[in-house]
Amino acid sequence: MSYAYLFKYIIIGDTGVGKSCLLLQFTDKRFQPVHDLTIGVEFGARMITIDNKPIKLQIWDTAGQESFRSITRSYYRGAAGALLVYDITRRETFNHLASWLEDARQHANANMTIMLIGNKSDLSHRRAVSVEEGQQFAKENGLVFMEASAKTAQNVEEAFISTAATIYKKIQDGIFDVSNESYGIKVGYGGIPGPSGGTSGASTPGSGCCS
Amino acid sequence: MQEPDHHDLSDDSDYAASQQQGLGKSTFRSDSGKFGAGGDGGVWEVVYFRENVAIHPTQYSSERISGRLRLIKQGDALFMTWIPYKAGQSGVDPARYGENSSLSEKDQNLYTIRDLPLEDVHSIRRHTPALGWQYIIVVLLSGLAYPPLYFYNSGVREFLSTIKQHAFIARSSDDANVFLVNNFQDPLQKTLSSLELHGVASIANATSHISFGSVSSNQDINRGSSSNSEYSGKPRKRIQDPARDISIQVLEKFSLVTKFARETTTQLFRESQNNGFNNYGKIQKNEDAPSKSSVAPDHKIEANIHNVPVPTDPLKNELSLIWGKPRKLPMGLEEWNIFLDPEGRIMDPVALKKRIFYGGVQNGLRKEVWKFLLGYFSYNSTYAEREYLSSVKKKNYETIKFQWQSISPDQAKMFTKFRERKGLIEKDVVRTDRSMSFYDGDENKNVELLRDVLLTYSFYNFDLGYCQGMSDFLSPILFVIEDESESFWCFAALMQRLGSNFNRDQSGMHAQLFALSKLVEILDCPLHNYLKQADCLNYFFCFRWILIQFKREFEYDQIMLLWEVLWTHYFSEHFHLYICVAILKKYRQKIIGEQMDFDTLLKFINELSCGIDLDETIRDAEALCNCAGENGEACIPPGTPPSLPIETPMMYQQDDEDDFGKSGCI
Repeated sequence: MSYAYLFKYIIIGDTGVGKSCLLLQFTDKRFQPVHDLTIGVEFGARMITIDNKPIKLQIWDTAGQESFRSITRSYYRGAAGALLVYDITRRETFNHLASWLEDARQHANANMTIMLIGNKSDLSHRRAVSVEEGQQFAKENGLVFMEASAKTAQNVEEAFISTAATIYKKIQDGIFDVSNESYGIKVGYGGIPGPSGGTSGASTPGSGCCS
Repeated sequence: MQEPDHHDLSDDSDYAASQQQGLGKSTFRSDSGKFGAGGDGGVWEVVYFRENVAIHPTQYSSERISGRLRLIKQGDALFMTWIPYKAGQSGVDPARYGENSSLSEKDQNLYTIRDLPLEDVHSIRRHTPALGWQYIIVVLLSGLAYPPLYFYNSGVREFLSTIKQHAFIARSSDDANVFLVNNFQDPLQKTLSSLELHGVASIANATSHISFGSVSSNQDINRGSSSNSEYSGKPRKRIQDPARDISIQVLEKFSLVTKFARETTTQLFRESQNNGFNNYGKIQKNEDAPSKSSVAPDHKIEANIHNVPVPTDPLKNELSLIWGKPRKLPMGLEEWNIFLDPEGRIMDPVALKKRIFYGGVQNGLRKEVWKFLLGYFSYNSTYAEREYLSSVKKKNYETIKFQWQSISPDQAKMFTKFRERKGLIEKDVVRTDRSMSFYDGDENKNVELLRDVLLTYSFYNFDLGYCQGMSDFLSPILFVIEDESESFWCFAALMQRLGSNFNRDQSGMHAQLFALSKLVEILDCPLHNYLKQADCLNYFFCFRWILIQFKREFEYDQIMLLWEVLWTHYFSEHFHLYICVAILKKYRQKIIGEQMDFDTLLKFINELSCGIDLDETIRDAEALCNCAGENGEACIPPGTPPSLPIETPMMYQQDDEDDFGKSGCI
């Protein structure tokens, strides 16, 4: 599949908050509660369309346990977007957000778009973090926020796509130099070389193998 | 964006105290060109030195290499040097330093840190245990870490405060014992800093393609050109030589090539440094080819792959001569019985290990054989002794298990660590091999056993605790051994060797990744050079392979075979590293030809999962291991997992080892 742009995403957050499930829901539209725990990193990819342009999301799903932080940090490099996930039923996963955010700020590109996700919104009867608290944290730290459920798929599409839309807008606004891969954006073969470019990326079949 | 306030060390009492002490300084004239063709910066100054700073090559502090640690300032740059004492070095008390003489010079050279620019350092972690010696771990920007440096004469705080005086260092707000070097919050600061440090910095840095960690611009030029890059010359010449005599001679040559390559890159590196580039490698790629960047983004568009000439595998011919032996069928019961004497002792453990190395063990027999391979049973024990041992160990196990079983809900409320561990383990056992019938379904008894054994282990080895990846090790063990107590002891025996994979400071992983990089350097120098210029030398792309010994890379029946092959330690305790080299070499053409960067390589390696031919890989690894011979073992630092420092014949005799202590996952 050809694409106009490829965005690198990284999903971060404590272990067991549902990072892999969010990814699977987004890429395969299914929920698999007995997914093997992630060691190191797993990859997923999906094509989306923004402003009529095919955009490929390459998503890095990371291991959440504290011991692996040092290795996780090496994955931030060149990510255009991040999904920072906590579990609304486990308070401690919310409390750890600041430390995740600091890692992201330190090791990722300063222009990386970060989306805060309160996952497991289907379990709101066991809620330990209010929506307002999530909103407040996002507001204080300049993040986009939504609650989502990998199980029911609520807001999963929206989370990934609105992050992409934000990144796309940054390209249009000239905030990113898309020829510089450290921003986590690759221009597809036959794609648009710059913010003002006009050629369509949809004309070169078989070029998108570096997913 | 919030600005973490961690730039100041004034809150650190250690730092403050050291400020009040005069720090000894001495100035020297540079002996000719010691720090490269620096020209102007000829004067260098030792701003810190400390005697008796040691490395413990194994987890036993009785084995140590002592040396002198120095910080040397030349111009604006600060270098760190740690040189081990030579045996009988003058002015050194032999009673205290004599231990170095028992270590080979090779071992010592392995650890020597020579003129490490502080700009190559990512962070320094300080450990100040209440008992024992203070030590630091220096982590490089590449992600590699040096082994811990123990300060037998104290001096960690002076060390840090000296660095603070001469380089940019900030305490991590994440961990008060981590000091980040070169920790720049934003690109502007980076630019400013490089201005400050080197006097030259291009604003273009902010927009042009930046290649992290590329060593020299010349290599980039070579990479793209149609002629071969410099490192391919020698090995290729060697290959045209139809020599029959292999290994050592070849490897000696390779080590020369390696040395040559290292010296060359070092020189280039210094030149580029003197040209004003920020020397931790943010070197612009486009200086050689302005046309390249204007035509297309500097990215390998798929159509261009395979256009890059790939240096020939230097061992191509040699490996075909010493190909690993054909694999055999797994050992069955009849054959197994031949190894046993009437009382059940294994008469020839080496022959047994050899047999298992070449073919593995039939499924039904694994239950018996694994207990020997893992070290739970000793080879010279009798049936009766083993039966007795099992009953004793069963009671031991129950005792340890009761430690957590007896925690009441009320007590648990006041025992956060326990709740955290239990919670994490419970979350993970239901995410471990659930697609296997042995572990599938709701309320599966075996999943509960996984939980019980892991939780019990986290009490047995409380310092190490539980870390993700352990359930991957335990799952096949429980599947094979079945019995709860025996699975526990087999797992504990395995963790004696591999527990440091799960140390919080990742020391075990770093040691293995470091050893792997050394092995690739001697077994495939062009590949090593490629990975170096692609800034992949931290080998993080092999992290999962090593952490759980390829558990996620092979199907279940294959992983059981591979593990028993590894556990024989027949050719090498570190055979798993040769497996890594074998796989990497198999795909070297693709890796180099497609000019994979770190991200692409990591993804590529991840996706090899369940697509690797096991028998072929083991044969390749055997050939590589033979080919590397002593040179291979010599480049693996002693104590690198899964090495045991001392042969422990029986599990129950094990020492309270964790001198390592500082680990603990959760």
